[in-house]
Amino acid sequence: MRGLFHVTPSGWSGLGFAAFVILLVPELAGSYWLSVFTSAACFTLAIAGVAFLYARLGLVSLTQVGLMGVGGWVMLRLNHGTDLPFEVNLVLSALATMVFGWILALPALRLRGLYLALVTLMAAGGLEIVFATFQFPNGGEGFWGVTIGSSEPFRRPALAQSPEAYLRYVAICALLGFLLIELHRRLQPGRAWAMIRRSEAAAMAAGVNVTLYKTWAFGICGLLGGAAGALLAGSLGLLDDGTFRASESVMVFALAVVGGARYWQGAVIAAALYKILPPLLSTWGVDADLAFVIFGAGLLHAVITAPDGIAGQLRGAIVARFARKERADA
Amino acid sequence: MLEITDITVRFGGVVALNEVSARFTQPIGGIIGPNGAGKTTLMNVISGFVEPAGGRIERDGQNLLALAPHRRAHWGLRRSFQKEEIAEDLTVFENVLVQIDHGRAERGRKSAEVLRMLELVGMADRMDKPGEALNSFERRLTDVAKCLVGSPRIVMFDEPAGGLSIDETRQLGRLIRAIHDETGAQTLVIDHDVDLIREICAETLVLDFGKRIAFGPTSEVLDNPKVKAAYLGTEEIGI
Repeated sequence: MRGLFHVTPSGWSGLGFAAFVILLVPELAGSYWLSVFTSAACFTLAIAGVAFLYARLGLVSLTQVGLMGVGGWVMLRLNHGTDLPFEVNLVLSALATMVFGWILALPALRLRGLYLALVTLMAAGGLEIVFATFQFPNGGEGFWGVTIGSSEPFRRPALAQSPEAYLRYVAICALLGFLLIELHRRLQPGRAWAMIRRSEAAAMAAGVNVTLYKTWAFGICGLLGGAAGALLAGSLGLLDDGTFRASESVMVFALAVVGGARYWQGAVIAAALYKILPPLLSTWGVDADLAFVIFGAGLLHAVITAPDGIAGQLRGAIVARFARKERADA
Repeated sequence: MLEITDITVRFGGVVALNEVSARFTQPIGGIIGPNGAGKTTLMNVISGFVEPAGGRIERDGQNLLALAPHRRAHWGLRRSFQKEEIAEDLTVFENVLVQIDHGRAERGRKSAEVLRMLELVGMADRMDKPGEALNSFERRLTDVAKCLVGSPRIVMFDEPAGGLSIDETRQLGRLIRAIHDETGAQTLVIDHDVDLIREICAETLVLDFGKRIAFGPTSEVLDNPKVKAAYLGTEEIGI
């Protein structure tokens, strides 16, 4: 258990940020911004999943928003079709998406780099067509559960009926997602993934079952994406196929790189760029599409000068500042 | 005893190994040969990274070719590569622990074994150092410690002395010689450093263009005119 519960400075800052979001943000934000922040918190969880896969194993998945759609679909179906509590539906949605992620991943396990990215993008395209064709359940009859006209009301968690409480609920779920990733990183799977990223041959020589651990990582990525989609369904009450286009998966991955895939701050920055920046620009009277120009500039910046993303640059600057201060004090 | 029988490997039309056989009976054996002779290919076959077209590899009654690569590591096969494969974001301790993570021993025993082997190679005082902060010799020593944990049966080093200074090579040679006494494992070493091979290997296999050209006690093998001609580059006389 060596170092398992050690909290790093980055960990403390993460816990502090979570406390800020859970305790203060719901009190300060109006109803519009509560909805925006809740959506951003959901996408933070999804981006954490795809960033984890990229940072730990170097694998590119362009299906994450599609997997969010799967989680959202299962959540809506269970919510309208059963009387199970929200929490049970959330867990079932996340697990169902994890299994779905595994099924998608199995043919792709022998692929890497561009070919893996293309296969996952095609899967996202397939999901986009399924969502557009069959729509999301809204309380109708049958397997697809779609009815024309007004939809049935969505049951939010008993603990989080109000928008403020629901933002807190989602923030806690996102925090649990980050803790799940960190726990894995510090245990056997994290070490196995580090070896696989170094070299698959070296990992096999170290006794690592590469197929098992790659599948495991895809499962966690799917689990987090599914949970994020289920929470998004809880926030909005109904989902629209336009949210889960394949192009959004590409955008989410690109922003995970811009934010910094290796750090928790990177997922938060990426979600803020994706979900908070456009409404912020609209509020300032600027065309929200300007966000795409900013995303492109951010991606160029990451590719050319900041391989660890904005979060990596910020951390580097902070470490350098402390080092200078220590030298000055000495 | 490691028994390699009639191993043949083909890459398309190229025969990388042509019915190579050898029975390694000594604690430390060497594999030498000029570049492209098939040394690393043979090690890759033993590791499971290359599937041979034919042949057998057995040790203690176990047919190694029947096991998946990671299962060979669980069985007791250890392998170090030409370039030290140390994960940058794991500490020295964690890099070694990976090798026995799959085992069923309790965590405390695994940690104690990792510590013992880090002490043996002289890296215990740097066990919390991340892989990215290690110099090449420290990485090589960490690699050696990885090969020693978990009751290894066969340990293979592929050019372990590449890029090391004379003193570092001597220290590495001492460590390799200690492996059999410490763990009971049989060791195979590929290297171009003939002095190192002569010093540590009791028997040596020489390959050239994928064929075995000599096998036996190292001093005899290195004096073999065929070996001198093929490997050391001297003129072949009277053969």
